[in-house]
Amino acid sequence: MDGLKGDSIASALHAQGIKTLTKSLRYDLPRGFFCGIGKCSSCLMRVNGIPNIRTCIAPLLEGVKVEIQDKLPDIPDAKFQSKPKKIVSVDILVVGAGPAGLSAAIEAAKQGTKVLIADENLQIGGQLIKQTHKFFGSKYEKAGTRGIQIAVDLEKELKELEKSGNIDLMLNSTVIGCYEGKKGKHKFAIIKRKNYDSILYEVESRTVVIATGAMENMLLFTGNDLPGVYGAGAVQTLMNVFGVKPGNKVIMVGAGNVGLIVSYQLLQAGIIVDRVVEAAPIIGGYHVHAAKLRRYGVPILTSHSIIEAYGKDKVEGVVIVKLDKNWQPIKGSKEKVACDTVCLAVGLTPSTRLLYQFGVNMEFVPEAGGFVALHDDSMQTTVKGVFVAGDSSGIEEASTAMVEGKIAGVSASLLLGFNKNAKDLKKQYKKELDRLRAGPFGEKPRIAKRKIDKLLEKKNA
Amino acid sequence: MKSKADVVIIGGGISGCGLAYNLARRGVDVLVFEKNYLTSGATGACGAGIRQQWSTYENAELAIASVKIFEKLSNELGEDIEFRQGGYLVAIHDRKEMKQAIKNVEMQRTLGLQVEILDSEGINDIVPILDVKGMKAIGATFCPTDGHANPFKTTFAYANAAKRFGANIYTHTKVTSIKKDKKRITGVITDKGSVKTEIVVNAAGIWSKDIAEIVGVNTPNIPIRKEIIATERFKPMFEAMVISFKDGIYFSQQKEGQIIGGIPSPEQKPGYKTIPTISFMQHMASTLIRYAPVLKHINLLRHWTGFYDVTPDSRPILGETKNLKGFIHCHGFSGHGFMISPMVSKLLSDFIVDGKTSEVLNNLNIDRFKDKKIEHEMSTVG
Repeated sequence: MDGLKGDSIASALHAQGIKTLTKSLRYDLPRGFFCGIGKCSSCLMRVNGIPNIRTCIAPLLEGVKVEIQDKLPDIPDAKFQSKPKKIVSVDILVVGAGPAGLSAAIEAAKQGTKVLIADENLQIGGQLIKQTHKFFGSKYEKAGTRGIQIAVDLEKELKELEKSGNIDLMLNSTVIGCYEGKKGKHKFAIIKRKNYDSILYEVESRTVVIATGAMENMLLFTGNDLPGVYGAGAVQTLMNVFGVKPGNKVIMVGAGNVGLIVSYQLLQAGIIVDRVVEAAPIIGGYHVHAAKLRRYGVPILTSHSIIEAYGKDKVEGVVIVKLDKNWQPIKGSKEKVACDTVCLAVGLTPSTRLLYQFGVNMEFVPEAGGFVALHDDSMQTTVKGVFVAGDSSGIEEASTAMVEGKIAGVSASLLLGFNKNAKDLKKQYKKELDRLRAGPFGEKPRIAKRKIDKLLEKKNA
Repeated sequence: MKSKADVVIIGGGISGCGLAYNLARRGVDVLVFEKNYLTSGATGACGAGIRQQWSTYENAELAIASVKIFEKLSNELGEDIEFRQGGYLVAIHDRKEMKQAIKNVEMQRTLGLQVEILDSEGINDIVPILDVKGMKAIGATFCPTDGHANPFKTTFAYANAAKRFGANIYTHTKVTSIKKDKKRITGVITDKGSVKTEIVVNAAGIWSKDIAEIVGVNTPNIPIRKEIIATERFKPMFEAMVISFKDGIYFSQQKEGQIIGGIPSPEQKPGYKTIPTISFMQHMASTLIRYAPVLKHINLLRHWTGFYDVTPDSRPILGETKNLKGFIHCHGFSGHGFMISPMVSKLLSDFIVDGKTSEVLNNLNIDRFKDKKIEHEMSTVG
């Protein structure tokens, strides 16, 4: 198998036109990846004899043997997982090295705490590493800077602090669970992968910041599991991280900022964006992004949705339908459109599984993207020492995620008694957060956070 | 909410729903209160095994009769409860255990159970992946009609059938008080309203102690956190559940390919905590690998906790309270409530409807703990 340095197994396969990575368990249908960031598990393959490897985040290494696995595989004969566990103790564990987690880790380390930051990807930066567009928002929070550059800046800052010994970074490592700790401490199991081998770490920490981000939403329609149906983020990952074209002709579903920005990036990569369909009667994203698409002549159809993707083993086309004011399909409005890629930009759901394990109070807040942990303005949940930041605390922007991360980092440090002007910093960051949420596009998160405040009040009453 | 009922059952697990079905089909006006959702307690967290190989007569009798019901239950309830009989292989590690096993098998055979004693070589005929030396076994007992069923599907099948016979099931409804006059039950109060009744069945699992306290009845039960792991799916390798009373381990491979099992946790202590322990995971993994070394190359996928509602003799507490007419115990199942629930709910419904009692019900009355000597169930795992 050919590929470039830095490829994942799945990206190298895509570059060669191989989109079917596995088969569905019950009906034997072809499956390709949907999320591209290790969350959807529809890219499991047998790698060097080891089954169930997530090929979208597994590095492509020299001489690797990759096979489509049987639905119920044989037990592997490979030698792995034979190493003794390692025990680590830190002040703060940060789960997730995206904008929120990195900001939290940097802020906490600056306060003098000993921080461990773990992320299951091969690079730090979370979703920033595929965001080639310039950020909006406040000049304090990197407005005008491209996401990829922000990731580089944060990494630089992190590396400086790593030298001081206050931060340890574990990449290609998954926090698989939290467990009962002793004396008020939290205990975690982390699997650190090396090549396709792995080592178990038992980590004890006094506080933890959960900055695990979010997962892309799937949409219900016939054929939504065909290879060629991707989350918008997965398409961005393929194009902007690995330099691989996801297809030649794309239908984009969703005209929020993600749908608009990714459509534009697809055009820049020389891929045809046939149209953008949006179920809502208005375009959800910024006018400036929509205008860019219009200039290219890409139609943005509001009150339209997808009801089917068809094709034998991969997407060959879709059926689009017009919706009435009650969001119901209008009879006779079906239109068949040939394409090889469907891109879903229909929102995100917070990744909250670790939070559930702690037993923190979770509540359904639609404006936050689903179930989220109740948290106070220090980003602390209802379990002492457990903080949240970024999309895992409610879907928002990378810019607010960074500020939330800073607040969580400073607050966690304060709780442990580290205080280098921390209280003033916290105040400053809170102001910054309010400023970022002030505009009309901050309405949804404003509502979400207000609801969370109220639910927390009710719980404490 | 209804204002009165013949019987109120507290607890929407397998015991409560099974009893609701057995009562409703006999025309009893029955009502179930569950403070959370159906199967939200021990039922939904259990290992799902169904074993008839017990050391005490009462447990063996209940389990054997239950298997006969399980065999026809999908048909009876009109829903597939995924009952399968792959057998249970019980490891024997030393002479003392062999002596006990011979005694158990003798008793079980008098109850009509088909069960055999294997030597160490016979073990691999049943489960080829076992390392007989690693598990330090000198033999095993094997009963081919033991097996497992899906606890969620079984509970919901019971609940749905009960509703078809007119039972009312209220979930997310918490019992806050129980009304009584001097010597009998008169009603139940919940956070959603109250209901008049003369019979209350306490099937509240680890919370049964709190329910009993409301009416001033003490129970000796202790809640103990238990843990289970599940692995990735693999090709079917064995059908039997493998257990050891000495090591406390049990594990089996489900039809879908994953291996599910448990073992007493090194940090096991009474209480209501639900967070899992890392020491369990490691103890379970290392013991599992000692039993079946080929499993060392597979990943754990899930790890969860549940509870055993444990009594001093590891046998359930069933039947009416002597000084309080209409207050009926149905708890203390000590980790094996699911597998004996079909017969338990049948016996209790016979008692409630016909006043009919039985040797098993009499022997498992709460008053047995007043005696100095109680017979202990020896054959427990997890």
